[in-house]
Amino acid sequence: MQFTKKAIEHIEACRFCWMCHHVCPIGNATGLERNTARARALGLSLVAREATALESDIVDNLYECALCGGCMTDCVTGWDPVMFTKEARLGAALEGNMPEYVGKLIDNIEATGNIYGEKEIPEILKSAIRDLPPKADVLFFIGKDGAYRTADKSAAAVDLLKRAGVDLTVHKYEPDSGYALDFLIGAAEETRSAMAKTAEILNETGASTIVCYDPADAKVFLREYKEYGIDIKANVVTFTSFIAGLIKDGRLDVKKSDTAFTPQETPLLARDLEETESVRAILNSLGSIKEMLLHGKDTVLAGNLIMNEYIPSVMKAVAERRMENAKNVGAKVIVTVSPAEYRSLSDNNDTDIEIITLEEAVLRCL
Amino acid sequence: MTDFLFDVIATELEDAVGRENCSTRTIDKIAHSVDYFWLSRMWADRGLRMPEGDFIVAPKDAKETSAVLKIANYYKIPVTTWGAGGGTQGGAIPVCGGIVLDTKRMNKIYDVNEQGMYIECGTGAIYKHIEWAANEKGYATMHYPSSLTCSTVGGFLAHRGIGVSSTKYGKIDDMVLQMEVVLPNGDIIETSPAPKHAAGPDLNQIFIGSEGTLGVMTKAQMRIYEQPESRQFRGFLFHNMTDAFNAGRELLQKFKPSVMRLYDEAETASLIKKIVGVEKKGAFMNIAIEGVKEMADLEMKILLETFAKYGAEDLGSEYGEKWWKEKITFFYPGHMMDIPQCFGTMDTIAPYDKIEKIYWAMKEAIETNFPQAKFIAHFSHWYEWGCMIYDRFIVDGKDVPKDPHEAFRLHQAIWNCGVRTALANGGVVNDHHGVGIKLGRLMKEQYGPAMQVFEGLKKTLDPNGIMNPFKLGL
Repeated sequence: MQFTKKAIEHIEACRFCWMCHHVCPIGNATGLERNTARARALGLSLVAREATALESDIVDNLYECALCGGCMTDCVTGWDPVMFTKEARLGAALEGNMPEYVGKLIDNIEATGNIYGEKEIPEILKSAIRDLPPKADVLFFIGKDGAYRTADKSAAAVDLLKRAGVDLTVHKYEPDSGYALDFLIGAAEETRSAMAKTAEILNETGASTIVCYDPADAKVFLREYKEYGIDIKANVVTFTSFIAGLIKDGRLDVKKSDTAFTPQETPLLARDLEETESVRAILNSLGSIKEMLLHGKDTVLAGNLIMNEYIPSVMKAVAERRMENAKNVGAKVIVTVSPAEYRSLSDNNDTDIEIITLEEAVLRCL
Repeated sequence: MTDFLFDVIATELEDAVGRENCSTRTIDKIAHSVDYFWLSRMWADRGLRMPEGDFIVAPKDAKETSAVLKIANYYKIPVTTWGAGGGTQGGAIPVCGGIVLDTKRMNKIYDVNEQGMYIECGTGAIYKHIEWAANEKGYATMHYPSSLTCSTVGGFLAHRGIGVSSTKYGKIDDMVLQMEVVLPNGDIIETSPAPKHAAGPDLNQIFIGSEGTLGVMTKAQMRIYEQPESRQFRGFLFHNMTDAFNAGRELLQKFKPSVMRLYDEAETASLIKKIVGVEKKGAFMNIAIEGVKEMADLEMKILLETFAKYGAEDLGSEYGEKWWKEKITFFYPGHMMDIPQCFGTMDTIAPYDKIEKIYWAMKEAIETNFPQAKFIAHFSHWYEWGCMIYDRFIVDGKDVPKDPHEAFRLHQAIWNCGVRTALANGGVVNDHHGVGIKLGRLMKEQYGPAMQVFEGLKKTLDPNGIMNPFKLGL
């Protein structure tokens, strides 16, 4: 397998370094030594030295990483396992070593625009967006997880924006942001070309602001699109920062309750987009905040629906472990800011902790 | 072993721990074949495969561990226990193949017991995770080694680990109350409910430091402490090491700081200069005092008076605070020694009447016999009666043979020279990294006929010799 010089440098640094062993949400959930940046780098370094072939289980191990960046954030010297893992995924795909389960998800994206192979969005969301104008100042980008896995919550988000009087539209045939492709095969030509097509469609809407319901989509619009030289004309913002602005400007008149909210912020928001304050500003205006020990940029991944498609038992364990964190600090109400984490936590909650989305929290306090 | 018998054993192990927790996959074998031991890293760096386990097995508790050991005993297969692989002595390397028993599924935190001031957990828990569990309730474990984030509770117990605050809070063997252990025959036992007693020898201390040769520790109660009201740092620069040893010894007759670390002139001029920013020549010493503020203030006064008597320059609190903040940074790639250098840490311990002599003897022995090697040291764990040397040799990459077998020989020769010099001058084989396969041969040299005590335990508890063969000199 061919690696760039940069990737080799990082692999060589990480192959004998154990320092981030404790932060991997997957490794902590499985207890497996291979689910560490160190083991992944060691395997790849031995492949590069031809001490082992790129066997299928070494490739599988690449896909057991959630790319959540916990290891990278924890590294005081700036080594980046996410970078070399993505590069190795691309390398495996280019050499025809992509696992079958990944191929199936990509086939689904090609056929339907989403990994699930879903063709129709659920009626609850359809009806929420039916009366929206075709063109508006703000384009609300729901994303695939929001559309197909938390449709009722996405509909609630639309309702909240309507109640704030936002000049709002949702694209009738919302394109795929390319987040899933980027996650699965990195900077492949397929990813770039899908992103370029999406940018074209979004630019045609004429919206001045795109509000991303899912931080995953905001992340690729704001990071990978720029990296790949793809231009989105509108101002891309996260749903959380947009709602925080609406509250601050008085367009959402919220009333403070006596509820203590515990934010669960996806690493996509807290680390990739470095946005940690807006969710706290919102929750502080709705009540008080009871933090988990690891929060903000140290947050712990609670779910990833792409990985849920091929290693559901592992992702169940990841969610359960995060629920344990919440339980340990006496959390009563967890507020999620990503469809994937809402789905994962609520599907695996055997505690008496309530799990709600950000829009639900705000709607309760209007 | 025939393919048929291999499958027989694999399916029995799968039956014991679940199919998903018994692996024969390449990535799992590789991941469990290289630990922090320089030889294993060098081997992999040269593109060679280290000895690998045939079965990577991850039991969830003592019961499953017991089932695995019974299978291993029946088929007489070696069992090497693996925590998180952060050991430096090759203790977790499956040199004879067989079963690698990864403990990390036994990572459950059963109880943060605020009444008894302990956490009960599986020994597969990463220590940082039990620190977090303690922090969630407002407590701390006070066990802060550089490997805090990458070693398990069991790993620290198996190798007699130690953290930077050891002078006040003790070693890992001082921090454990009770343990659950699975004996090689599969019997599950518990040590006494309290660690101090007169009910015979201390069972805890038989298994602590046994490196997986006498059984598998599966559960432990580890002490927790109140967070200190005040933690104060002070850096000092001594003119020479003798003054520093005398000052340290005198201080410890009066009270116990939490952190005491003395760096020799070479390490002060290299690592301390780079990470902490001390530019002056001399021997840097960092002291931390903690606890109730009123007491900490008084101890600080005593510290300043005591060290002034020995001519120590008071550098204030800044360097010490920086050191505390960066205490783990030292060990990240780019700061720590790394391949292609050849290096090792020969930590040894001795009473104050011998420690300085050992330091100079080791320095001379290494630098005379291996002129290509640098020798640097710090003294990081102090007691009323003595302290330990964290002494390192470093050979630049250009002086390390490319041929792995020759590099192996050079490494072993330096270690033999250094540790034998320590032993000859009254030191111990190792202070807190353990023995593993790296130092097994030197255990016999240290203990002589006393080694039969360990051998007798081994023979009785593990008559088939399946538990971590060739480690600890057993």
